Amino acid sequence: MAFTPPTAGGRLLSRPLALLASLAIAGGICFAPMSPASATPEASDTSKVIKVATNATIDTFNPFISIYATPTGINRMVYENLVQYSAEDSSDTEGLAEKWETSSDGKTWTFHLRPGMKWSDGEPITAKDPKWTYEQMMNNEVMGSANGSLVSNFDTVETPDDTTLVITMKEPQASNPGVEIPVVPEHVWSKLDDPGKHENNKDVVGSGPYTLKSYKPSQSVELTANPNFWRGAPKVDGIQYIYYKNTDAQVQALRAGEVDIVSKLTPAQFKALEGQDGITTNSGKGRRFTGLGLNSGAESKDGKPMGDGHPVLKDVAVRTAIRQAIDTETMMAKVLDGHGTLATSFIPAVFPKWHLDDTSVLKGYDPEAANKMLDEAGYKRGDDGIRLDKQGKPIKLRLLGTSDEPDEQQMADFIGPWLKEVGIDTAVEMTDGDTVSVDSTMGNYDMYFTAWGVGADPDFQLGINTCDSRPDEKGEGATSMDNWCDPEFDKLYNQQHAELDPEKRSQLVKEAQKVHYAATPSIDFWYKDSLEAYRSDRFTNLTKQPIEGGVITEQSGYWSFYGATPVDETKTAADADSGMSVGLWIGVGIAVAAGIVGAVIFARSRKTADERE
Amino acid sequence: MSSAPGAQDVAATETDRTDDVRQGTSFWRYAGRKAGGALVSLAMVVVLGFFAFRILPGDPVLTLTRGKRVDAEQVAALRREFGLDESLWNQFLIYLRNLSHGDLGDSYTFRRPVADLIYDHLGPTLLLTGVSAVLAIALGLWVGQKAAWRRESFFDRASTGTALVLWSVPTFWLGLLLLLIFGGTLQILPTAGMVTTGLDATGIDYVVDVARHLVLPVITMVAVTYAQYVLVMRASLIEEMTSDYLVTARAKGLREDLVRRRHAIPNALLPTVTLVFMHIGGLISGAVTVETVFSWPGLGYLTFQALTGPDLPLLQGTFVVFSFIVIVMNFIADLLYRVLDPRVRAA
Repeated sequence: MAFTPPTAGGRLLSRPLALLASLAIAGGICFAPMSPASATPEASDTSKVIKVATNATIDTFNPFISIYATPTGINRMVYENLVQYSAEDSSDTEGLAEKWETSSDGKTWTFHLRPGMKWSDGEPITAKDPKWTYEQMMNNEVMGSANGSLVSNFDTVETPDDTTLVITMKEPQASNPGVEIPVVPEHVWSKLDDPGKHENNKDVVGSGPYTLKSYKPSQSVELTANPNFWRGAPKVDGIQYIYYKNTDAQVQALRAGEVDIVSKLTPAQFKALEGQDGITTNSGKGRRFTGLGLNSGAESKDGKPMGDGHPVLKDVAVRTAIRQAIDTETMMAKVLDGHGTLATSFIPAVFPKWHLDDTSVLKGYDPEAANKMLDEAGYKRGDDGIRLDKQGKPIKLRLLGTSDEPDEQQMADFIGPWLKEVGIDTAVEMTDGDTVSVDSTMGNYDMYFTAWGVGADPDFQLGINTCDSRPDEKGEGATSMDNWCDPEFDKLYNQQHAELDPEKRSQLVKEAQKVHYAATPSIDFWYKDSLEAYRSDRFTNLTKQPIEGGVITEQSGYWSFYGATPVDETKTAADADSGMSVGLWIGVGIAVAAGIVGAVIFARSRKTADERE
Repeated sequence: MSSAPGAQDVAATETDRTDDVRQGTSFWRYAGRKAGGALVSLAMVVVLGFFAFRILPGDPVLTLTRGKRVDAEQVAALRREFGLDESLWNQFLIYLRNLSHGDLGDSYTFRRPVADLIYDHLGPTLLLTGVSAVLAIALGLWVGQKAAWRRESFFDRASTGTALVLWSVPTFWLGLLLLLIFGGTLQILPTAGMVTTGLDATGIDYVVDVARHLVLPVITMVAVTYAQYVLVMRASLIEEMTSDYLVTARAKGLREDLVRRRHAIPNALLPTVTLVFMHIGGLISGAVTVETVFSWPGLGYLTFQALTGPDLPLLQGTFVVFSFIVIVMNFIADLLYRVLDPRVRAA
């Protein structure tokens, strides 16, 4: 019957059949590559490559302008610093420089580079490379945008010979100036037209254990082993960082063997992975503190009041009472499932040299003492049990938190009732991180949740608590940790800044933290553990930092990935094969089922059509 | 929704075909009017794109440097580099001047031209949404017309019910469930990305690899979106089914199948076509959740990232590009609707 041409509707009807058929074919194709024939060589090829799941922002791999943690961490693998942080305890250890000395006035630092080192392209590494790198950062605003603060005290950088580098400081400096700054090859970078715009994401020439081979935005970063690395080539062939936008998918990928290392797990995910075959979990001690900022009376750098903090918080008795009203231990057990270390002050326990460990000054959870202190300070309770401020109004403090941080919502749920027990009312305001960031800078808060990742050298973290570090009235100019200022603290900061004797400097750093602790412009709750897991059936010897109880990912160094050693391959390949064939059979099954369904429907519609003709 | 479609029958179509010339000129006037509207919308998008995001809370430089070791000079240098030290009006003029050259500025976060970033991420998003849209539309229209023709039958209730259940399921939940089953437990499909890292495949191997990565995200997207096509198709076909011209068609002796295919469905398709085009723009931005669950390297996640900061140039860029796509799609829908439906031509 052909009396009318086919119309759109007619074609539409046959489409589902074509669709089903194509789905059946696609199903077959999609599952087919899991066949052992194509998968086996691939498995043995990649078994020496560590696959790391990552979900962090990658801004750029240009070490002069990269600010984000993940590219900075990747550049730690690519570029060896003059001085490295050790795996043992993050103390200074040899990098490009094998030894160094400081003049007695702390103004001249002389570094001796190890002779005979080579870049990954075979060119020699000389003292001219760090000189060029540092001078770029000193003289060019854009080149200093990531690490400019680390060279702001540099006066001159000289190279008397190929293995000696002399840095002259403007002011005496106790912290080693050779750390943290990636040293780039002069012979590559000096030829670039605009090194500040260089993306540096392909076939990079480096000096660390790995070099960057390729980068696909939002997909992957590939590193290959650098045979010229001065400690010797790594035992694995490379690292692949694979982009995962949610951690649940990461967990599944680890189970499936698609990645070898996952990090930033939630306690629930961590628990689910514990005890799984071939997977080892690691709750590594982190270098980040979590705490509560209290508005002790924010002022700008030139002493003008800022923001709208509750006046009652200017009283140190109130701030101390808040500290003693919070049961940090219980809160950590509930919020972190115990995966953390209770904090003293703002330098984490992974840096024992700087961490405040004098228990005599610490004030633990003690609501009775808190109540007594507030009674004595003259804050009488009203009829509803809420204390009254000096103007006779009930004390109600705002608590600012970030809504997409689940921990902060949980903490707020605990803190509110606890503060009520000592007669302080709270109003929780959960908002976006950007608002918290601006409000905390401008002093527009009573209390807010704060957190900082702390570097191996305490100078910076102490420095942002000095009077000079407070911003101007517009919130610009400098960063202050707690909008707090104390001349006594400043004195101790300045002393440790120039103290060359490590023992004495350690004491000064701890003294400074004691001053901060007593004043309580913020309360530190804990140092959160990094929850990680890896395929121990494929890799071993992932050196932690610190070696005892430390982290595998987010190290200040390259220790875990440099130490990584592949586990016997034959066993892994066999395991993988059995998994593949199951997948293959299920794939075939689905394809066949789809095919049958398609055929039946096709046959049925033909039949009904014939009957009706 | 179209009303009184009974006006269209074979005779009416014949009459219209004789008016080709008059129709041609008025078509251009119609197209011009629609194009003018689209241009006005675009101009508003360009202005809004700049000022709306300036209202967002947060200081880009503060957010970028939060928790990092930076001193006052570094912060000031960043502000100068981003042009944030200029007055708002000057920033707007610079934005307009750049935009007129097709330059969307440099992203604060990625330190790269926004146009490059969008270009990098557009392909994967188009692939994912394109495949999903085609499948969802085909499936939705087919199920919809079947369900309408056999209204109140078991097929109607089962298929419409299924579509509605899937439509109500949270995308994130469905995606994660599929990922858990097929990625984590059965391990027959990849858990993330668009290609296997380090595979370096070419030709057919590459296509197969991408196809495997496509399966789960596409199933998720189709499952949660096809219901809208089912419902529109079903509703409009049911409306057509009572029309007089179907009686005429049956009277000619056509069998039921042909009545449906050649007469009812073409008319019922009209509102559906508009809906489809209106959805295409939304699909691209609506892929955010699926892209996040399956770590698809597309535009959705890029936009999400731009919001934290805020990364103003990237936000402006994605907003302008998304809006552009939606406006163009609506414009095409307007034109197509006219080509498909003779009644609009007369209007």
